[in-house]
Formats: sequence, structure tokens, C-alpha cells
Amino acid sequence: MDGGGLPTSRVVSALAMRRRFIVTTTAQEPSCGRKQKLAEIHQALISDPVDIETLRRAAASKGGLLTDELRRKVWPKLLNINVYKLPHKPGRDVRENHKDYNQVVLDVRRSMKRFPKGMPSTERAVLQEQLIDIILAVLKHNPQLHYYQGYHDVAVSLLLVVGEQMAIAMLDTLSNYHLRDFMDPTMDSTKHILNYLMPILEQVDTELHDFMIRAEVGNIFALSWLITWFGHVLSEFKHTLRLYDFFLASHPLMPIYLAATIVLHREKEVKQTECDMAMVHHLLSRIPQDLPYELLIGRAQDLFDQYPPSLLAKRAALQSRKSLSISTFQAFQLSTLHQRPDSVLRRLTKAHGSSTSKHGLEAALPRDRGQLWGKGNRMVKMAVWGLSATLGAAVFAVAHTAMDWGPEVLLQLF
Amino acid sequence: MAESGSSVEFSGSLTLPPPRTRIFKIIVIGDSGVGKTCLTYRFCAGKFPDKTEATIGVDFRERLVEIDGEKIKIQLWDTAGQERFRKSMVQHYYRNVHAVVFVYDVTNAASFRSLPAWIEECKQHALGTEVPRILVGNKCDLQDSIQVGTDVAQQFADAHSMPVFETSAKNPNSQDGNYGGGNSDHVEAIFMTVAHKLKSQKPLVLSQPPEGSGGTINLSRVRDDGGDGSRSWSCSSC
Ligand SMILES: Nc1nc2c(ncn2[C@@H]2O[C@H](COP(=O)(O)OP(=O)(O)OP(=O)(O)O)[C@@H](O)[C@H]2O)c(=O)[nH]1
Ligand SMILES: [Mg+2]
Repeated sequence: MDGGGLPTSRVVSALAMRRRFIVTTTAQEPSCGRKQKLAEIHQALISDPVDIETLRRAAASKGGLLTDELRRKVWPKLLNINVYKLPHKPGRDVRENHKDYNQVVLDVRRSMKRFPKGMPSTERAVLQEQLIDIILAVLKHNPQLHYYQGYHDVAVSLLLVVGEQMAIAMLDTLSNYHLRDFMDPTMDSTKHILNYLMPILEQVDTELHDFMIRAEVGNIFALSWLITWFGHVLSEFKHTLRLYDFFLASHPLMPIYLAATIVLHREKEVKQTECDMAMVHHLLSRIPQDLPYELLIGRAQDLFDQYPPSLLAKRAALQSRKSLSISTFQAFQLSTLHQRPDSVLRRLTKAHGSSTSKHGLEAALPRDRGQLWGKGNRMVKMAVWGLSATLGAAVFAVAHTAMDWGPEVLLQLF
Repeated sequence: MAESGSSVEFSGSLTLPPPRTRIFKIIVIGDSGVGKTCLTYRFCAGKFPDKTEATIGVDFRERLVEIDGEKIKIQLWDTAGQERFRKSMVQHYYRNVHAVVFVYDVTNAASFRSLPAWIEECKQHALGTEVPRILVGNKCDLQDSIQVGTDVAQQFADAHSMPVFETSAKNPNSQDGNYGGGNSDHVEAIFMTVAHKLKSQKPLVLSQPPEGSGGTINLSRVRDDGGDGSRSWSCSSC
């Protein structure tokens, strides 16, 4: 929603969008009844185009998306994924000669805690193999992306809810947008994102901020929160899911704002700790498991509205680096505005009898979509250049990108 | 972060120790999967963790020990092994470190070949030979899949003037006779060796000048379970 380091005044359409978003998010509470929310979500899903604003609001507001069944319907919409055109199951080839293969296997084999406690070990073993496959499938499909330890925590959270094929599609999109900064060859961009944390604290609680500066605690205590969307540190999967609802519907920097609210929430504890790096790091990195998530999510949204990334970037020395996640976010959000409801998508898919006889990931993405992905990426890049050049060009490029991903265009190309 | 049992490891120091307790900070580094988390957990919690997870960033464990009648807090910084975390992430934690433990996996030659890079990494953070450093070859219990022989490791350690220990976080007493055996815990002994070494040094950035002289260290003195462990240490170059 926000232009990050870009001068927002120039990005008129985005600003307008952002306003609308704020109005709707703050006016959410009166209708928080579960039944009402279910009805709203269903209505939004069958609208044509899909009412993505309502879905985002539902995902962020109290209770999130409520059930896994709804998540399976709404999550793909939040990421502009056509559930009738999912990638095929990965073939064996995804495991061959991949530079990150060993690391992925090592991390996935150690990820036992991410699976439900009662799950039979044979079943878990099957899912772990799937987890290795989906991670490698996405990495193979995006050679510019690099695996990081913690990526598997994101992948498993998706897999457990939406299954193998949709998890691949979702992980692919997330990797190119929300998680993009973490997947550079180095962690420099990740560090840049982490550096937004202290400026937020400074705005809200100078005393706490100064205490932490004196302790020289740094911000690595929040690293795993950020790059796994808290999946690595929460022991209750339902809390992870609640946060995933929220983050899937939000700006890529939102996990940092949530991190800030958690630190602020623990302000007393922090200040009572010995002002020493080790002690403060230790305290903060052990996340309490009984956090009031709904409250904190609301606060994170308020903080985001009050101190948007662009504002923080101006104050702190944060401007020097370009964040791909931030700079492509507008284009990404615009691309989600033109989705058809599933009933229509299914009809269209059937009518064209899309061939499903191919194997492997490339085939799994319907052939033309596979090509479009490449094209889409180029268009996104163009959108970024456009934004930094003139507004006209930006709007053109962004609109073009969105259309590229629209199903009609896709189908015309078959 | 990964271990839910971490509060247990930490419990020993939750009641604030007297202000003048010295703290020894030791950073543990090495490739992903060599067993850094297991080793530090073993030392601080006294057992092999049933599950570890990838370490993301830096984890912290500590344990209060007594050496020659002095209470000392040993702080272990367990770092992420994946290369991408090294440069930009872990660097903050190299500061004010009193000792370095390099870990490789005896069943994984690649982890041994990475050691020069880790040593270089330390040098860049101004942790040269003046800081006590030791080398630990982990997973000795997997006798059938050993890829790094003791002699090669010893040569390498000599060349970098540090002592080397082969051990197992999983089964630290399993070495056939080489290292004392009995019911002594070899992993504990390794970290205690480092602590003794630090205690014997001139005061570092520690909060209290060391009492008594450095002198020769008899490891068995700090152990409750008798002198079994001392034999293994007579040969160490520490
Ligand atoms: N057999 C055996 N396995 C071990 C031993 N120590 C660790 N392991 C296993 O090796 C794997 C990696 O151990 P970790 O302690 O998580 O490795 P790490 O060095 O902390 O890895 P990163 O956090 O990724 O840097 C786990 O599956 C452990 O169970 C050992 O002494 N013997
Ligand atoms: Mg570890």
C-alpha cells in the first residue's frame, strides 16, 4: 500500500487506495460476529471481480479467516492464484543437483516440531518429503532466489493448510514478493528490513528505545520472527495461522510492525532486565506463548498507519537500500484486483479443457502461464522503473502487469 | 530459540547472581548441522536434546559453574551455520567474546574443509590467536561413517595452534577408552577446559580481577563425580 522509499505524493492512485484501506480497516469492529464475518467472506468470494478488499480486511480483523477451509479459499485470492491452474506435483528431478538440497533436507528433517503433535510419524514423514519437494520446486523455478534457513518454516505452514500443489503456488508468489528481500544471495537486504524495528520503537517509546540502544542488543532477536513470519517461534500452530492470515493480507513490512508491538508489549519486563546485550537478547528472543494476538495485530496496524515505512525511512538512515519486497508491493496489490470468482474460473478452465498430461513443474504451471511468469516479472520490473520515472508510465506498466495475470488474458493465449 | 526446554537451561541464573560474578562469553561457530546447538544444549542442560531445529540468527544459553571456589557464568552463543547468516547477521555477537569454539562434524569432510573460512571470519572480527580458541570434532559416536581422521584434525589444529577434541553431543562417553570414559561427560569437560583457560588468563574485560593464580588446572577439581575426567585432559594442549 505504501510506496516505501518513494515519494508518495507522486503515486496518486496508490494513495487513494491506501486511504480506502485505512477507512475500511478501522471501521471493522461493529460487525465482528462470526456468522456475519463468514457471510461477508463468502459474499466477497463470489463477487466478480472478487472483493479483495473485504477479504483482506477479514484476514486482518479479529479472528482472522476463522477456519482452514476458508483459508484454502481465501489465501490463494490474497496472492492472486488461480486454484484451477495449480502447479503439478513436483517430479523427482527437483531434487537433482540443487545447490541447496543438503541444507533443505537438513532443515526439514529437523522440523518435527512444526507438525501436529498427534500426527503419526509415517504421515509426518510423507509430509516432510513433500516439504522438501515444494521448497526445491520453487527454488528451481526461480533460480534468482536463494534458500535461507527458516524458509522451510514458511513452507510447512502453507503445506499443512493448503496441500502440496497450492503450497507451491503460494510459496512461489510469496518468494517473489513478501519474502523476496530474504532470498538475495546475502542477508544485507534482510538486515535493512530489520533496521526498521528500532525507529518504530523510538517513535512510540523513547525510553524503551534508549534502554535497548544502551544495552546494544541489536535486532537479531527478531530475525527469525521476520523471515519465518513467526512460524519458527510459536508453538501453537493456530497462532501461526492467525498471523499468516494477517501477513498475507498486509504490507511486507508488517511482521516488523508486529515485532515492534511485541517488544512494546513487554516494555516493563525489558526495562527491568539488566541493561546488557545478552540478557536483553535472551529475554526478547524467547517469545511468550500467551501473547494477546488480536490486540497486538490491531496495534501493529495502527503503528503502520501512524508511522508508515516511507516516514520511517526518512527519519532513519534507511533510505540507502532498495527493498524489492517494498518496491514491488503496489504492483502486486494491483494485480490482485482483477480476479474472477472460483465458479467462473472453474467454468473457464473446463471450457478450455486445459491439458494436464504434462509432468514436472514447468508443465504443472499451464504452459502459457509459465511463460507469463517470466513476462510478468519483467513487467513488474518495468512498473518499478515506472514509479521512479513518471506516474503515467507507472500506471500503464502496473495495469499491464495486472492484466497479464488476469485469467482472460491467460486463456486467450492458449 | 528452537528448544522449548530453554527456560530450563537458563533457570540456574534466573536468580540474579551476585553482581561480581564473572562472565565468560564463548561463541560457538561452524557449518550448519555439525551439532553446535546439540553441544551447547548438552553443556547447559546436561542432556542431548530430543529435537533441535535450525538455528536462525543467534541463540543464547548459559550455565553457572564453580571453578576453584569461584562462581562463574558461562555464556554460550550458539550461532547459525548457514553461510548467508555469517557475514551480516552474526557479526554483532563477535564483540566482547572471550573464547571461540570451532565445531566440525567428523562424519562430514566438507564441514572440516570450511574451518579456514571460519577462522578467517574470526580474524576479521579481531578474534585472533590471543583469544583462546579450540576445535571440536563432533558426532564421534558415528564410528562407521567417519570422514575426518584424528591425525588430520590434529595436524590442522597444530597448524593453527589450538587444541582439538573429538566428542559426541549425543553420546559423550562412548569413545572407546580414548577419553577417560567412565561416567564423565566429555562435552562438559571440553567447555570447562575453556573456562579454566580463561580463568587462568590475565583479567580480560571481566568484572572482577581473577583471584588466585592461573597455574596448572586440574580439571577434576571442579567435577562432582570424581577424577575420571582428569586423565583425558592431561594430554590437551590447553
Ligand atoms: N549421531 C549424532 N548426531 C548428532 C550429534 N550432534 C548433533 N547431531 C545431530 O545433527 C543434527 C544437527 O545438529 P544441530 O545441533 O541442530 O546442528 P547445528 O550445528 O546447530 O546446525 P545449525 O543450527 O543449522 O547451524 C541434528 O539432527 C542432531 O540430532 C552427535 O554427537 N551425534
Ligand atoms: Mg543450531
